[in-house]
Parts: sequence; structure tokens; C-alpha cells
Amino acid sequence: MKNVIEVKNLTKEYKKLKAVDNLTFDVYEGEILGLLGPNGSGKSTTINCILSLLNFSDGSIKIFGKEMKPNAYDLKREIGVVFQDVAIFDELSVYDNIDYFCGLYIKDKEARKSCIEDAIALVGLEDFKKFYPKQLSGGLLRRLNIACGIAHKPKLIFLDEPTVAVDPQSRNNILDGIEKLRNNGATIVYTTHYMEEVEILCDRVIILDKGKIIASGTTDELKELAKIEEKVSVEVKDLDEKYIEDIKDLDNVEDVDYSNGLLLITYKKGKNNLVELMDYLKKESIKYNKIFSERPTLNDVFLELTGKELRD
Amino acid sequence: MTIFKTFLKVLNKCKAPIIIYTVFLIFFGGFNIKTSDNSMSFVADKPDILIVNEDKDNKITNNLINYIEKNSNKIEIEDNEEARNDALFYRDVNYIIYIPANYGEDFLKGVNPEIKIKSTGDYQASLAEMMLERYIKVANIYNDTYSLEDDIIEKVNDTLSKETNIEITSKLDTAKLDKASFYYNFTNYCILAGCIYVICLILSSFKNENISKRTIVSSINYKEYNMKLLISNTLFSIILWMFYVLLSFVLVGDIMFTAHGVIYIINSFIFTLCAVTIAFLIGNLMRNKDAINGIVNVIALGSSFLCGAFVPADILPDSVLKIAHILPSYWYIKTNEMVKTLEEFNFETLKPIVINMGVIVLFSILFITITNIVSSKKRKKN
Ligand SMILES: Nc1ncnc2c1ncn2[C@@H]1O[C@H](COP(=O)(O)OP(=O)(O)O)[C@@H](O)[C@H]1O
Ligand SMILES: [Mg+2]
Repeated sequence: MKNVIEVKNLTKEYKKLKAVDNLTFDVYEGEILGLLGPNGSGKSTTINCILSLLNFSDGSIKIFGKEMKPNAYDLKREIGVVFQDVAIFDELSVYDNIDYFCGLYIKDKEARKSCIEDAIALVGLEDFKKFYPKQLSGGLLRRLNIACGIAHKPKLIFLDEPTVAVDPQSRNNILDGIEKLRNNGATIVYTTHYMEEVEILCDRVIILDKGKIIASGTTDELKELAKIEEKVSVEVKDLDEKYIEDIKDLDNVEDVDYSNGLLLITYKKGKNNLVELMDYLKKESIKYNKIFSERPTLNDVFLELTGKELRD
Repeated sequence: MTIFKTFLKVLNKCKAPIIIYTVFLIFFGGFNIKTSDNSMSFVADKPDILIVNEDKDNKITNNLINYIEKNSNKIEIEDNEEARNDALFYRDVNYIIYIPANYGEDFLKGVNPEIKIKSTGDYQASLAEMMLERYIKVANIYNDTYSLEDDIIEKVNDTLSKETNIEITSKLDTAKLDKASFYYNFTNYCILAGCIYVICLILSSFKNENISKRTIVSSINYKEYNMKLLISNTLFSIILWMFYVLLSFVLVGDIMFTAHGVIYIINSFIFTLCAVTIAFLIGNLMRNKDAINGIVNVIALGSSFLCGAFVPADILPDSVLKIAHILPSYWYIKTNEMVKTLEEFNFETLKPIVINMGVIVLFSILFITITNIVSSKKRKKN
């Protein structure tokens, strides 16, 4: 696999705070890399350093094998960025906004035209070309913000929390769009604090906390890090204390909790947990309503590694 | 090209206020031009003259005094030289005529006695001078042909009564110059408001923090980008200035084709460039679109009132005028007022005007320096 980005020992200090602390990681060609971490964990700072927007205290950054510098215009030509905050002209229409930002990269008018149309199609703003930002909802603004960042068909794309405070419809549209960009050959760095998005979208994940990498790998690899294997919930009325004690003694059971008619069983690694549980319930003739099993989430991984929840 | 095109699009979105400022100018400028077309201006133009007569009671002398007093506002000042000098300094009097002892008798003898004068050197004073010169010229002519005192006086008065009125107003077209000065004083408001409004708006869009980030990470050279923005803004301001100059030809008319007109135009051009530097400074200090209107009003309206763009500066209290010295508008308007009374164009008369323009240029350099300091401080913060 080819390295598109190589980050070595990146450190960024604000007066006392180390916002990014000795990060080393690579981004491979054609992948979607997720930077996952709670607010303030240093995701935006990392991206801004990679883009030479911020001076960093220590470390080195290479993009496409070359050192990234503020005046590395040939590298910048191949990069598209969608920042966390919406950056568009209120005075320009949807089309003109994309045209302007695309024009910072592509001078030729005809070439630009088809790029703009593609970008509009990608984020699904075909019906809003002539609209002004004031007339757009928050979700549509975000989509416009993305279109402005990727219209020039960059090979490397950074998206910084593009789905914060976005309605579900726009969120799905955005996630689909990112998938399409990757399928068209782009390499993508995606930051978020929503673990569900990372699970759906990303090939590889780096989990950040307080400016440090606390884990990295594919979602499945990361989930291996969690001690638990699965969580089973059972809806059951008036369960006797004696049965709860019995269940605790079943194989692989880590913990049992019963409240408000909901039985929650956490399992360590092991097989056939659900089958054994159902056998036991049948044997004791316990009537239950619904039963379902969940795999551990990245939140559980985060909880395991840091002792706190991913979301505050 | 993209930047310039976008500049125009952003501008197009905010054309309303610019049109309003201009309508203001046409309305008030045009209005004033209509009302000042009456004899009021002539009456007001009578110079304030003090005559210090050392001669004894003499028919010739008395006739001269009568003539001057008839065509001027007679001023009485304490009978000492210091009081007279003060009066000149404070413009209580424009012109002092010293008639020497034995003037009447010497005149009849054909000696052509010397009349000393003191003058404020302004337009009114030059009217007084013209009046005096004319009298003496006519009197000398009849002194050569007639020998009887009474004949000379009769002829002189006869000739002068026919000509005075026409002659006095002919050298400077005060009504038109008044219009021109009023118009250009008013442009203080329009140019400041127009430049500050547009440049701040453009900067608050193009230099918005998030848009700047996007621009910096793009493959465009950021220095070039800033240069293009600067050029676009300056170009716009110059077009605005050209428009106001063209409008002055329409509203004020032929006086704009004279040397007076040229000075008005140069003065307003220098002031426009200064307004651009002010606008860049403000645009760098604040990036809040909602605050722009307020700032435009404070600066454009405030300076216009303080420096006498709407009302004549001499009715403003001294303390206000002192404060006004620290504003470029004061020097701009001062020049317009000077041009109005400019009788001759030579090194001496043009010097104060050039100095005023120099002060405006110095202001511009000051504003550019502050802008650079402010923006480099901002950059360091990142
Ligand atoms: N300009 C700044 N000055 C000081 N501290 C900052 C600055 N920008 C960010 N930080 C701090 O750096 C840390 C990382 O911030 P950021 O990268 O924005 O986090 P994230 O994007 O993951 O939410 C935070 O603790 C934040 O408070
Ligand atoms: Mg962030």
C-alpha cells in the first residue's frame, strides 16, 4: 500500500496545553481513515497542522512523499479540505460559491463547469443551485460546504466533523457522498466524535484522547480490545432474585443487571452465549418478551481504554 | 479574474446603500445649488473695510471715502494699530485703507500720493482692492483732463456708478464657486461612506476567518490573492471618485473646467486614496458585517459634521474645529474652502493648498502603518 500521508512525532503546544502529543501515523492510498475522539481531543489541530495552517512545535509531515509547507502549491492543488465551520460567501448563490472556491484551483472555465456540476450532484443540491445560503437549512449548508471543498476533484480529502448538528437525511447524503468520493479514487481523512459513522464508513480508525493516539486499527481489530464479547438484553417481568443468581453462574457471564423489567447481561469472550441463555430460560419456564444481542461498540473500547465515555 | 468577478458579485449584493449615499449627494447638492442662485451671495460678498483717514476735511478725500463706504460694510475699530491688526487677524475686517495726510491736495497736484493698505488676502479683500484700484484709475484719468475739483468728482462718480456692479462680480464667479465647494465638501461624506462601506463589506467576506482558512489551504498564492483584493478595492474607490467628479460637472457646471475645478478634483482624488487607507484599517480591526453600518455613520457623518462638510466651518465652535484637526476630512474641506476664494494661481497662493494635501497624504501613510501593525499582530496570534 502506498503512503499518502506520513505524520511523524507531530506535537503542537499551546502555551501550557499539548493539543497534539507526539502523533505518528500514516494514511494509505484509497482508504477512509477515521480520526475518532471526544471534543477537544486534538482532531482539528492535527488536521490544521498537516495542512500547514498551524505551526507545530515538533515533528514532520509528508504528503505524497514530499514535505508539506505553506508554499507547497503543487501539493495543495491535490488536496481538498472541508473545515468544521461552514466557510461560504453569504452574498453568492450555491453555484457561485462552488465556482469561486473551485476557481482557486482550476483556472479554466470550461473544465470548472463540469467539476461544479459533479460536486452539486454528489451532495444532491441540484434543486438549489440558484439559492442563497440564507435560504438553506443547516443540513443543506453543510452539503454546500462540502461541495466547495471537493469540487476541484482532489486526490486527498480532509473532512473535519462534516455531520455535526445535521439532520438524518443530510447526514446519510453526506456519508454516501464520502463513500462515492473514495470509490472514485480519493484518499480521505475523516474526523468525528460519532462512533457509529466511523463504523459504517471508515476502513481504519485512529482513536485520539487528549492529543494522544490511544488505539488504532480496523473497527473489528479495535473491538478485540474490549474485554466484553457481547451484551444481551431481555425484556422480562418480575424476575425472581434466585434466577438472577443462576444466570450469573452461566458460562462467560461478566455482569448481570436487572431493573425496570429489563435484564442486561454482559459476556466476556466466548461462544454460544445466547443459545445457553435461551436454554436456561426455557428450562425454568421464564416468559420473556424480546431478546436481543449487541456487539460491543467503539464506545465500549474507549471506555475500556480511558475509563470514560466517548461522548460527554 | 475569479476574485475580481466575485468582488463584483458581492458588491452587487450591497448596492443599495451606495445608491442611497449618492442620491443624498444629488438631492442635497442639487438643492443647495438651486437656492444659492440669488442676490444674497452678492450682499454677503461686500467686503468689510476700515478706513484710517489722516487727511483733513477735503472734497476729493471725502468722495473716495464715500465711494468705498457705499460699496462695503463700514467697520469701526478702536483707534490704535494693535486693535486693527487683531481685527485683521480675526477677519473682523478684510481690508484697511490708510489715507495719508494731504492726500486730496497732493492728488490734485498730480503727485499721485501713495495709499497704504493692509489685507487679509482673501476673496473679500481682493474685492476691496479692486474697488480701490478702480477708483484711483478712474480718478487719475479725469484728473488729467479736468482741472476743477467739482468737475473731477462729478465725472468720477458718474463713471463709477455705471460700472461698479458689473465689475465687482466679474473676476470670481462666487456663486458657482460656492456651489462647487459645497458639492465637494459634501463628497467628504459620500466618499468616506462609500469606501468604508464597500471595503469593509468586501474584507469581512473575503477575510472572514473560515474563508481565509479555505483560501490559505488552496493552491492560490496568498500574497497574490491579497494583492488582487487590494487592487480591486482601490479600483472600485477610484471609479466611485470618478463618478462623483463626473456628477460635479453635471451639477456644478462650467466652473469645473477652470483651474479651480482642477484643484477640487485633485483634492478629492487624494482624499479618496486616504479614505481607502481608512477603510482598510477599519476592515482589519473588525470583521463583523452587522457593525459596518454603524461605523460608516459614526465616521462619515461624524467627520462631516465636525469638519464642516454640511454647515460652514466658521459657525462651528472653536473647540470643535480644534478636535477636527486630527481628521483628514478637516484638511480636505479646508482646501475646498480655500479654492473658493483663490484669486490668483501662483506659488504663494497654492502653497497652503499643497500643504493641506500633504497632511492628507501623511494621514494615509499613518493609517497604512497602523494597518500593517494590526494585521501582523493578528498573524502572530496563530
Ligand atoms: N488557538 C488555541 N489556543 C489554545 N488552545 C487551543 C487553541 N485551539 C485549540 N486549543 C485547544 O486544543 C485542544 C484540541 O482542540 P481541537 O483540535 O479543536 O479538538 P477537536 O477538534 O478534537 O475537538 C483543545 O483542548 C482546545 O481547547
Ligand atoms: Mg474539531
